[in-house]
Amino acid sequence: MLNYLIKRLLWMIPMLIGISLISFFIMHLAPGDITASESAFNPKASEESRQKLRALYNLDKPLITQYSLWLKRIVKLDFGNSFASHQRPILWQTKDAKGNITKGMIQDALPITLMINLIGLLIIFTLSIVLGVISAVHQNRWPDRLITIFVFIGFAVPGFWLALLLMYWTGVTHSWLPISGLHSAGYEKMGFIAQYVDLLKHLILPVSISSLGGLASISLFVRNGMLDVLQQEFITTARAKGLTENKVIYGHALRNTLLPLITIIGLSIPGLIGGSVIGESIFAIPGMGKLFFDAVLMRDFPVVMGVLTIGSVLTLFGNLIADIGYAWADPRIRRGISN
Amino acid sequence: MKNLIQNPLALSGLIIIIAILFIAIFAPWLSPYDPNYIDIHSILLPPSLSHFMGTDGLGRDVFSRMLFGSRISLLVGFVAVGIATIIGTFLGAIAGFYRGLVDSIIMRFVDIMLSIPSFFLILAVIAFLTPSIWNIMIVIGLTSWMGVTRLVRAEFLSLRSREYILAAEAMGATDYRLISKHLLPNSLTPIIVSSVLGIASAVLTESGLSFLGLGVQAPQSSWGNILTDGKEYIQFAWWLSLFPGLAILITVLGYNLLGEGLRDFLDPKNKNQKK
Repeated sequence: MLNYLIKRLLWMIPMLIGISLISFFIMHLAPGDITASESAFNPKASEESRQKLRALYNLDKPLITQYSLWLKRIVKLDFGNSFASHQRPILWQTKDAKGNITKGMIQDALPITLMINLIGLLIIFTLSIVLGVISAVHQNRWPDRLITIFVFIGFAVPGFWLALLLMYWTGVTHSWLPISGLHSAGYEKMGFIAQYVDLLKHLILPVSISSLGGLASISLFVRNGMLDVLQQEFITTARAKGLTENKVIYGHALRNTLLPLITIIGLSIPGLIGGSVIGESIFAIPGMGKLFFDAVLMRDFPVVMGVLTIGSVLTLFGNLIADIGYAWADPRIRRGISN
Repeated sequence: MKNLIQNPLALSGLIIIIAILFIAIFAPWLSPYDPNYIDIHSILLPPSLSHFMGTDGLGRDVFSRMLFGSRISLLVGFVAVGIATIIGTFLGAIAGFYRGLVDSIIMRFVDIMLSIPSFFLILAVIAFLTPSIWNIMIVIGLTSWMGVTRLVRAEFLSLRSREYILAAEAMGATDYRLISKHLLPNSLTPIIVSSVLGIASAVLTESGLSFLGLGVQAPQSSWGNILTDGKEYIQFAWWLSLFPGLAILITVLGYNLLGEGLRDFLDPKNKNQKK
């Protein structure tokens, strides 16, 4: 297990270098000098900030030198400052000479996106296991057909369209739910429980929209996995020795279906982070997706590079956790029989 | 082929896609109005016999714009997936055939590309280039080849050790001949299935980009940008938001149904599951 862990961690180094390379060269796709295009698109960028930027990215030096210098700063977790948002630090808070703390943009945005996605994953996980098992147990009968129809529609429905319709229907027509942001006006004055309820109400729509696609694909995955496992010999053995059908399904089949699910969840992380762009823009939620989208529109290059890098690193860690979880849950890997 | 038609999933998918193909080809003849004709006397008219899907904020006929929009989604789907399939098949074939160092390098590159959230990558590239339909198709293609690479490589690795390949090799077949005559034709199934499913996700990505204003640019109509326009009027012109979303849903559903149907049909393992 320890060997596996070390090996897995060492693999991440070339991966991180690759990610940083791609993030870096994407920025150089922009035609011409980025400081020139920046100032052309963003009137807020002063001559001073352009000079700073040139120095920061060493634009006078060859590309390789630029990259290695950028990498050195990234390793120290220094992502620089935004051009557009009053020179806010991108990753983490800084203190100026007077002791005022300016919070980092990603520091503010990341917990919000993580919260939405974690709640989403929790819902996806529980509901899709239920749906998948029902579907598999009743294969080709009406519950299976009904769930299959739901799955295909869930795959195909454009999230932003559904978001728009739900927003209009629950928010505007009926005023049941708030439709934008995370807090109502006067949030600071509410009591603790009222704040909590307020936040939950704001989260209902964005979380349901963001979990729909995952719910569909993982339900299908659980269904097909169950059908696969139910055909294997150990299930026949379990039935032959007289176990009840419930024991066979929940004790034997489901456990073996859930194992690969850990990997699937890990693989779905980039989709969830990437998918946050549209959802967060529609619901005006200040998370990573909206931060990235706004930065892209304002051509705020350091922020774009920062979010791209952090988003990818998060994905890597998500996969790492999923792999370790898998190794831990599967005795064959845990005991080092296979790697 | 007969079995394929008997598969209800695949058949309904096929019908949907053929219908969209028909609409896209004959859009100029089917549409009652010029899709870009601005008529200030008929702004935001609800659906009626003269405007099946109503008119938009500039008085343009939504039905005509929808018909022409089908061309965009079809074009984006096929070109983007075409690019992804060519790159993916090429890299996967090389990795699976030559193995060793080439394989490791290609597969690590796949891992890296997979760990960058692709929608972020697409947005960044599109924003730095100018948003146009061609850029979108190329960028979606360049960010979605990894799945095909993995599939083709896996297929090649398993086929490589079969006896007929060894026999062909022993008879002195060149690498090129082995790949193009023996290995590729036998790996077509997963490639076709993943391409059809890939078209579905390319259509969704394009509509998402157009919805964000970074996709197909006005006055050219795409389902995504009709929806964006509709967003402004959602309180008094529901038809502007409803129809484009439904069209995207039905199209994506069509490709997914066909893809899953093909998978069931072509994969011998699934046949045993059907009781």
